Order: sequence, then C-alpha cells, then structure tokens
Amino acid sequence: MITASINWTRHNLFGKPFDVVLSLLVIPGVLWLAYSIFDWALTTARWDIIAASLRVLMIGIFPADQAWRAWTASAIIGAILGAGLGCVFSFKPHHGLVLVVVPLLLLIVDHGDPGNALPAAGVVGATMLGWVLTSYMPLSRKVMPAAAFTGFIVVVAVMASPGVGLWGGLLLSVLLTLVTSVLSLPIGILLAFGRQSRLSSLRIICTWYIEVMRSVPLILVVYWIWILMPVLAPQWGLADVARGMIGFTVFYSAYVAEYVRSGLQAVPRAQIEAARSLGMSEFDINRSIVLPQALRVVVAPLVGNVLDIFNSAPLVFIIGLTDFLRAGQMILANPQYGDRTFEVLSFLLVTYFLVGSMITYAARKLEDHMATSAR
Amino acid sequence: MTIHETSAIRGMAESDRLRSRRLRNRIRHEAIQLGIVALVVVLLGMLAYAVKAGLAEKGIRFSFSFLANTAGFDISEGWTLTSDEGVVPNLAQFSSEMSIASAFVTGIFNTAKIALLAIILSTTLGTMLGVGRLSTNWVVRNLCFWIVEFVRNTPLLIQLVFWYFAVVLRFPPMASAAKLYGGLIVSQQGIYVPTLSWSGGVSTLSLILVTATCVSVLGAVFDPIRGMRRICIFAAAVCFGLLIATGGMTVDFPVANKFKASGGTSISPEMAALLLAVVVNSASFIAEIVRGAIDALPKAQWEAAGSLGLSRRDTVNDIVLPQVFRVVLPSFGNQYISLTKNTALGIAVGYPDLFNIYGTIANQTGHSLEGIIIVMASYLILSWIISSAVYWANRRLNPMGVSR
Repeated sequence: MITASINWTRHNLFGKPFDVVLSLLVIPGVLWLAYSIFDWALTTARWDIIAASLRVLMIGIFPADQAWRAWTASAIIGAILGAGLGCVFSFKPHHGLVLVVVPLLLLIVDHGDPGNALPAAGVVGATMLGWVLTSYMPLSRKVMPAAAFTGFIVVVAVMASPGVGLWGGLLLSVLLTLVTSVLSLPIGILLAFGRQSRLSSLRIICTWYIEVMRSVPLILVVYWIWILMPVLAPQWGLADVARGMIGFTVFYSAYVAEYVRSGLQAVPRAQIEAARSLGMSEFDINRSIVLPQALRVVVAPLVGNVLDIFNSAPLVFIIGLTDFLRAGQMILANPQYGDRTFEVLSFLLVTYFLVGSMITYAARKLEDHMATSAR
Repeated sequence: MTIHETSAIRGMAESDRLRSRRLRNRIRHEAIQLGIVALVVVLLGMLAYAVKAGLAEKGIRFSFSFLANTAGFDISEGWTLTSDEGVVPNLAQFSSEMSIASAFVTGIFNTAKIALLAIILSTTLGTMLGVGRLSTNWVVRNLCFWIVEFVRNTPLLIQLVFWYFAVVLRFPPMASAAKLYGGLIVSQQGIYVPTLSWSGGVSTLSLILVTATCVSVLGAVFDPIRGMRRICIFAAAVCFGLLIATGGMTVDFPVANKFKASGGTSISPEMAALLLAVVVNSASFIAEIVRGAIDALPKAQWEAAGSLGLSRRDTVNDIVLPQVFRVVLPSFGNQYISLTKNTALGIAVGYPDLFNIYGTIANQTGHSLEGIIIVMASYLILSWIISSAVYWANRRLNPMGVSR
C-alpha cells in the first residue's frame, strides 16, 4: 500500500525534472488557495445572509403571501424534469443520497432553521419523486409528453394571477431555459429543412437568417425584440418575461438549425433513395425516415445547447428581469448586509456550476444511452 | 427519374408527355419560389409599415441623418477617426462635440480592440490549458481539468461580475499600488503597462534598425528557410535591443502618483475585467478544442516520436502541436467569432463597446431601429473579417486541403 502510493507519487508527480518543477510550483499554490478558501468559508464568511435571502434568490421578488405559487410551480417543473431524467437513466438507490444531501446542506446553511429550507427541499423531493416514478413504472414513460405539457400549462396558470412581471430568481432561469429549448426545436428543424430545400428562395432566406443570428450577440437580439415588440404590436402588451423568451427562441433557433442540419447531412443518402423507391412522398420521407435518424445523431449537441441557453439566461438583465444573477446582485446592493460580495458570488457560482454540471452529465449519459440503443 | 428516362428512350410518344411534365414541374417550382418571395416581401412590408406607424406615434422619423448630429455625451475611453486636416483621417480621442457617427466608430474600435487582444491571449492560454490537460503530472492535469470544467459550466456574465467586483475593484488603490518589476502598475484605477515610444526623431541608424527588426520578425513568422526561425528571433532581439540602446526608441514606464499614474498605456478597470473574463472563458473552450484534436491524433505519432528518442516536450512542440493547429483552425475561427460577440457583455460593467454605445445613442436620440441596423452590420462585418482571416490561414496551412 505504502510502496504503491510512493510509486504513484514518484511516477505522477516527480517523474521527470520538468514534472518536479511543475509539482513544486503548483502543489503549494493549490494547497494555499484551498486552505484560504476553506478558512474563509468556515470562519469569516457569513452564510446567514444567503440563508436569509434564499427566497429572493430562488423565486425573485414575488410577494411573500403568494410565494406558495412559485414553489408549487417549481415543484411541478422539478417533477417534470425528474420524470424526464427517469426516462433516460433509471433511479438507483444510491442516487437517493442527493435527496438527503440537499436539505442537509440547506439546514447547515440556515443554522438549523427549516423555515427557509423546507420549500427548496420540497422542490428537490418532487424532482426525486418524478425520477423514481418513471424509473419503476414503465407505463408512466408513455404519458410523459402529455404530462409535461399539462404540467407547463398548470405552471402558467399558477403563476399568472399575481402578474408575470414579478417573479424571477433561479425559477425564471430554469423556466426560460426550458421554454426556449422546447420552442426552438421545431423552429430550428424547419429552418434546417429550409436551408436544404430545393427552392433557392427559401434556401437563401433561411441561410441568411441563420448566418445573421449566428454572428450577432444574443444580448443584441434580446434587446431588439424587447424594444421592437411594443412598436409592432402595442395591443398585445406582452410581459417582459414573454419578450425575453421570444428573443431567446429567435436567437437559439438558428443554433438548433445548424445542429439539426449537421444531423440531416449524417443520414445516409441510401435511406432517402430506398424510401423514394417505396413511393413515399417527400414529406413522409423527411418526417419518418430522415428526421428521427438525424435527431438521434444530434441529441448530445442539442443537450449541450440547453446548457448554453441556461448559461446565457443571466443576459435578461438587459431587459430588467430579475433572474438568478440579478437577484444576487440585488442582495449585493442591499446596504443592510454590508460588503458581502464574496459570499453571494461564490454561492451563485457554485449553484450555476452544479446545475450546469448536471446538464453536462445528462448530455453525456444521454449520448451513451442513444449509442447503446442504436446498436 | 431514371425510369422515366429509359421509357423516354423507348418511345417518342412518351417523350412528348415527359417534356410537358417537366415543363409543368418547372412552372410549379418557379410559382412556389415566386410565392415565397412574395410572401416575404409582403411580411417585410407589413413589418416596415407597422414599425413606421409605431414610430410615427412616438414622433420619430426613420432616417440616418441623426448620425451627423453632435453626440453630446462622453465615452470614457476609445479612439475615433477624424478628418479635420486633409483627406487622410487620423485617430483622436472621442469627445462630446463629435458626431454620433464617430461615437459608433469609437464603439467599433473598442470592440475590435478588446476582441483582438482577447483572441491573442486566449489562444495562448487555451493552448497551454489544453496541453496541460494531457500532462503526465497528475496535479497539473487535474488542475487544468477542473479549471476548464468550472469555467465551461458557469455563465460568462457571472464570471465577468466576479472578475470586476471581486478582483479588479479590490486591487490596491493607486497610493499603495502594487508595482511589479518592469514597471507594471496594478491598481483600482486601472492597470498601467509600459509602452514603447518613438523618441529619437528620424535618424539613419534608427531607421535601419527598425527595418532590420521588422524583417527579422517577418522572417521568424513565415520561416522561409528551414531552421531560420531561431536565428531570426535572435536577430530581432538584438536589433531591438540596439534600437533602445541607441535611443531611437524609448520605453515609457508608468509612474504612480497619489491618485493617478502617468506614462505608459492604461487599461481601465472595466476593460481589465472584461478582458480577464472573456480570455479565461474563451481559453477553456479553446482548451477543449485543442485537447480533442490531440486525442484525435493517431497514437502511432506519439510512439514513433518516442522511438526516435524525442523527449515529451519535443514531441509536443515539434510533432503534436504543428499537426493539431492544422486541424483546429476552423473551430478556433468559430470560437473567435463567439468571443467577439461575447464582448457585448461589457455593458454589465460599463465598458464602452459597440453595444453599450448603441444603447446610449438609442436612449438619447430614440433612433434605436437605425442604430440596430448599423450595429448588426458592424458585428456581421467583424464576424466576416474573422472568418475570412481564419479561412486564409487555413488555406495557407492546408494548401492541399488536408483539413479533416
């Protein structure tokens, strides 16, 4: 055991003179950094500020007596996400550890006061419930799309009555990500087909749309839609949230279109020729032969795109929405808490990192799942 | 199609039918095309009409004449083009008496400046990180992995906020500024870098030395004769040293006073934060591209280099990286374009880039629609410049179309 570890150290850390220099430079630096971070996090940092403003961070400046609406909506979204998770990879008992860890962490952060941690724990619980349900009841997978659709309608119904402009926080980031990813898929598929169409006019229009959207910043598109919508349709009176979602969808459709197009090109020509020789119409060929195979190829990039959307969600600050980052900045700006930049920013960074890593992990798992089921 | 063709060869009677069917198909095709064009024209017309009506309600006319108006606002940094004397435009600091058009020019200049700097820095850092992820040293490998993983899975905007509020604004104040050797001053008021300035006037000796330096640098970059690179770099260093020694060019070191520093080039805190955020973010994506390309390299290349007795460093420098750079160039181009777009986030910390200045102009004049056309066109042109530069470099490196 000891010889093995000494050998490992000699081989990995002090193998060559250059390695020795690198190790001696890097290891003390990393140790010092880790020590100072832990020292700060355990002694100096005041996490009670985060705990006190957890509600604002999660659901925005929602009126306190209406907070149950936001938490219900979050729980429904969590259940849908969990059920989607269960369709791809089944729940194993050791996954249940997450169920224990999250509320435990929240309790520690909150100095043992469950008042703030309870709703968040409820959301986590709903997610887990959805996951377990689809994992152990294969029947529930068949009704997944319908259930998800109903769920989204319920979310809108629950959130709508106090006004859509009020809510924000992590809930807004997640819902924005979900709506954008769901809406941009059909538009992106249409654009991808349009770009490959035999009709030159359609091809040129779609190509230009994709090229322009891919070479301007997202922030510009969101801002533009935000100022253009009231000019175009003042009678609609769209809420800022809806305008942000439209802007995101308009932008990310172009990206989805490029991914889907790469998938379409990966479908062997012979498949189309075989379908043609069966006498299928072009529409039927595209719908039931080409598209399913193309989508299977590009599942991983499409989930990667979801991560991209989630990571761009803070850009809605430009149209004045209170998303997760903006909620954090509101706490930073609160003079009552003093200078708490590091606590708030590290909490935001760690949360974003955890959610982002989960999406990346899901993408990798989904890719493996698709690869094995295709065989 | 082939079935019809064979039957067309068999009988002339069918040939006529085929011809008429082809004609019919073509007419239908053209009719659909015409329909699409008409639909788009009608849609765009309706859009234009609605926008015009909406703007008229607010009392704004669609015209580009506002570009010639006086700006009336200040931009904290950046240069613009002026043509006061003669035809040749020269660079000048933007001031509020200049026109709105020159404010746009300042924005484009600032965006291009930060994009260019970030492209150079992130390529260097990203390649180092990517190679570091394949290091034989466990600590370096894992450190690079976690840096890349962390940066890729968090939003750029929060990274920017972090760099600005938690790092750059916490630099020491100017009175007790951290002075690194070489005259680099790091302070809350900005970072001051020593610059080179032409001081010796025009003398024959300095002109000769400048030309020699430029020629040596070009020789080192293009490496016309095999093995000339090191000699060229050495020659360039010697010529440059002589240039400074003879006083043809002086290094302008910044000097810190109580509240301000003078001399050298200053990088404002906003620009420093934006540059840090964009460089680190883009570098981690570049690291992934580089690592992917190195992984895709046949294992035999490493083994062959090893059997020739090359050290790992020589293998990476002379065998791996030259091959990798050919493969990754198109992906680098995409990354550079997204980096350039990401600089628009500067608005979050108040860096006066193109989008930020557009926001100010749109607020002041109300001409947001005309402004957006200019801004979109500018970003499109910037993207095209980058992609054509990458295309040119790709053509130069892969003359026979070796790219995979």
